[in-house]
Amino acid sequence: MSQSLAKQCNDLKEGIGTADNNECSTLFKEYSSCLQGALKERGIDRLLEDAREDNKENDAAFLGRKK
Amino acid sequence: MVLTHTTNHTYSHPFPTVTLAFFLRYCSPQLNPFASHVLSTDTISSHVDPETGRLHTTRIHLKKSRMPPAIMKLLPTSLTGGGAADKASYILESSVVDMREGWMSTESRNLNFVGVLSVVERQMYVAPRAADHASGGTTDVETKVVFRSRLGERIRDRLGHPSSAAAATAAAPTDSTSNHGQQDGWLSRFGARGVQRTIESLASTKTQDQLGKSREGMRMILERLRQTGIIGVLELRKMARERSMDAV
Repeated sequence: MSQSLAKQCNDLKEGIGTADNNECSTLFKEYSSCLQGALKERGIDRLLEDAREDNKENDAAFLGRKK
Repeated sequence: MVLTHTTNHTYSHPFPTVTLAFFLRYCSPQLNPFASHVLSTDTISSHVDPETGRLHTTRIHLKKSRMPPAIMKLLPTSLTGGGAADKASYILESSVVDMREGWMSTESRNLNFVGVLSVVERQMYVAPRAADHASGGTTDVETKVVFRSRLGERIRDRLGHPSSAAAATAAAPTDSTSNHGQQDGWLSRFGARGVQRTIESLASTKTQDQLGKSREGMRMILERLRQTGIIGVLELRKMARERSMDAV
């Protein structure tokens, strides 16, 4: 399985793959917060915001295409 | 400056299998040997809209040297960072799947280097009408890639000097020792427009090569799913994981 971009989130990510349904959502939350921290650390959270801002109009048009 | 490239393709696999393959396409080099340049994959969010029943997923991939080497050579190290580690791109992938209506729309865009080149790939996967389902099912996909170089237009915005951007392009740089001065000099030597066009067309050529490989990778996963089903694929993924742990 592919790695997480942050080493410290890898175990949580791997765990999700083998977890049953109940464990899964708990693990995903833990993984998610681990990932958010890693994204912030690398400044990717800002890039994400930029991309979303850049693309708000596009999204509306694109996702509205199929109704 | 925008360059657009559109292609159509039909997979000879049913829509549910193709959507599964889309999400598994980077999961292991054993499954997809064309994905060895993908360093990591993370899911930022994933939820089903209770109203529409659509699955919304956002993922971030880290890919090795997605920026074509020819472009890297073209640019001064002040822009590219120079080091090999910097030659990786973060790709944001957003997708929406509607199983009931039988379509999946995806969008992938680079997060870094956007000042040099922004590549946005949009795909629309559609299950053909019911009549075709009897024959085993196929899936149509339209891929549209938009290349845009804003080199010299927005690079200063990205560097955090939005107000100076307009002024800097109008007036010649006075401070030649600064980074900005170097970039301006370099750009005006070649002509920003020409460089933008070159970057867009180089990237477009490279992407057309890549699209064939990405399709080939999808096809290998689809074949595996056909042969062994999802359980077989998950087994293989587990084996690959254990093997990589052994190696560590």
